[in-house]
Amino acid sequence: MDFTLSPDQELLRDTARQLLERECPTTLLRAHIGDPAAADPLWRHLRDFAALGDGPLTDGCVFLEESGYVAAPGPFFPTVALFAPLLAAAGHELLAPALAGEITGTVAVAGADGVWTANDDPVKTFVPEADRVDWVAIVSTGPTVALVQSPETRPVATVDFSRRVFEVDAGSGSAGAHSIDPEAFESVLERATIALAAEMVGTARRLFDMTLAYAKERVQFDVPIGSFQALQHKLADMALDLERATSAVAYAAMTVDAKDADRRRAAHVAKAAAGAAATRGAKDGIQIHGGIGYTWEHDLHLFIRHAYGSEAWMGTSAWHHDRLADLLL
Amino acid sequence: MQLAWRPEDEAFRAELVAFLDEHVPAEANAGFDYADAGERDERDLIPAWSRAWQATLFDNGWMIPAYPPELGGRNCTPVQTLIYLEEMARRRVPRSLHFPGYAIVAPSLLEFGSEQQRELVPPAIRGDTIWCIGMSEPNAGSDLAGLTTRADVHDDEFVVNGQKVWTSYAMAAQKCFCYVRTDPEAPKHKGISLLIIDMDTPGIDIRPLRHISGAANFAEVFFGDVVVPRENLVGTLNDGWRITQGSLAHERAGLWVEGVSRLETTIRGLVALARRRGLVDDPIVRRRLAELYERAASLRALGYKGFSSFAQGSSAPEHSFMKMATSELGKECWEYGMELQGAYGAVADPERGEEDGRWIMGFFMSFANTIAGGSSEIQRNIIAQRVLGLPRAR
Repeated sequence: MDFTLSPDQELLRDTARQLLERECPTTLLRAHIGDPAAADPLWRHLRDFAALGDGPLTDGCVFLEESGYVAAPGPFFPTVALFAPLLAAAGHELLAPALAGEITGTVAVAGADGVWTANDDPVKTFVPEADRVDWVAIVSTGPTVALVQSPETRPVATVDFSRRVFEVDAGSGSAGAHSIDPEAFESVLERATIALAAEMVGTARRLFDMTLAYAKERVQFDVPIGSFQALQHKLADMALDLERATSAVAYAAMTVDAKDADRRRAAHVAKAAAGAAATRGAKDGIQIHGGIGYTWEHDLHLFIRHAYGSEAWMGTSAWHHDRLADLLL
Repeated sequence: MQLAWRPEDEAFRAELVAFLDEHVPAEANAGFDYADAGERDERDLIPAWSRAWQATLFDNGWMIPAYPPELGGRNCTPVQTLIYLEEMARRRVPRSLHFPGYAIVAPSLLEFGSEQQRELVPPAIRGDTIWCIGMSEPNAGSDLAGLTTRADVHDDEFVVNGQKVWTSYAMAAQKCFCYVRTDPEAPKHKGISLLIIDMDTPGIDIRPLRHISGAANFAEVFFGDVVVPRENLVGTLNDGWRITQGSLAHERAGLWVEGVSRLETTIRGLVALARRRGLVDDPIVRRRLAELYERAASLRALGYKGFSSFAQGSSAPEHSFMKMATSELGKECWEYGMELQGAYGAVADPERGEEDGRWIMGFFMSFANTIAGGSSEIQRNIIAQRVLGLPRAR
């Protein structure tokens, strides 16, 4: 049992951190609000890491924590965390170009109710980046996977500027559907859930870091507001939720890599714990920032938005608690 | 990052498991999952079976495995210590029913004691000598350094006057590790000394304090002109405060295992309780139980993560969170056990309530965990200032 990063993983984390700090500043996030192409240069850097989509999940999570820290927009998350694992499970020939970063892709599963289980609803919902990726993989009951290009899509505006989501017409290209082993599909969803939780932990850490720094520098009543016990205790509780979520994600990724029997429970725990950390970081973060945190001009809201967008996506914390209850009771 | 333990560590666990299978006394498996078996009272504070069990552990090198054999151990590694604590907690087998001797007095004397005082260490660990710690006072709780029990220096002896409170096991103890003020003029952290006081010395009056559950395992201890020989001073005069930090350093990184295991046992108990009461199909109950499980599971992961850094020689701020988090979550679990019983939640009659009043007793006892050893509020101050680097509170 060892939770520490290997030297290679430390290198991966440091590389990701430097790259994303340089290539994904908040000015990019703001430009991306009205112009999705603003994230294209970022993808040209991130495509070099697309192979993480089929490697050890612990490595993938190390990277995604960093992309969550900057709330990276674009096709990286859907390609690496959804599309590539699904192609791998289906044994599809597009896997190689996807892992090489030559193509981008996304996955459409949820139907009208927004729940990520295979269904035959005519319209798929909450499909990220569906209008700009090369391929959309549409999952129907069976489960089966159909790969389509340029399906009919309609944008669904959410508060989250870093994850653009769409409705996709499922009938727009069902020819040549591959069937996929149900267990293997469950594993894809498990992997994607943990990957999302890793990204959320990164966003939660960003919210926490910004808030802690602000509490140390903002002076009121002639002292830094971080010297007040009411704020210290709030920050201690934020830190606890962040640390336990970080650990739950690492554990879940380790169970997947080890094919451990606890992995399904661990995936639900990870997403729910990450949801708690991200939403607490958002709520308490804005409260500790006070009025400035409530403005458009301050960057905090870019991460608050991504926190809530992620909490609602691929199963809320409550939904994951209910699935966990199904396994426990 | 990897999930599996190394083969040599699994071999260590197998050896421990074989020992436990053969030697654990039946009474040790009572299965208490609330703080320190609250049902024992002062008449049976440290029962005979637990004395024999602690001695057996010591004699076989399983009392403090990281210590050498002459101190009840087998020179094991930090990872093996964690495995030891994990296995003991999983089985809910207490090493000892009185922690002060092996967990506080022994490591402190090994580090700060004179040669003569260090002879007290093996019997403290084996449980042959029962110790209590004279620390808290009526006006020195969270602010321990504000203690006022006084020791005046007269030639070759100290004369002690004052009062201690919440002194665990004082009624059973032969010796007290007692913090006293020896320089009233100095700043409060600088005028404290540590004395070893024999509990049968004239002038000591022990009055058991019954706690909220009705049992008594701690006491008020009054000192009236108690004479203590000079050689019973531990360390340097007026330098006792730094010994208050002393405890089993190599076990501190693994103590969270006990808290987390206890939580998991409690949550399994809640699931069984919900089943018995026909509540497992209630969606509110299901979601709440899963949420408690999620929080406990993430705390176990946090504990392992902190331990991994510690074992690699890094500082592990994760551990600062564990005491506060496990004790607070425990309290919520116990309270939920009462809630699941509806109108019967407050019933103390063991004939009518669930599991001999386990839930209400556990709830009462759970306050000990969020108060003793640094309250949750003090823990948050420590996290804010030492881990997060915030300025001292005003």
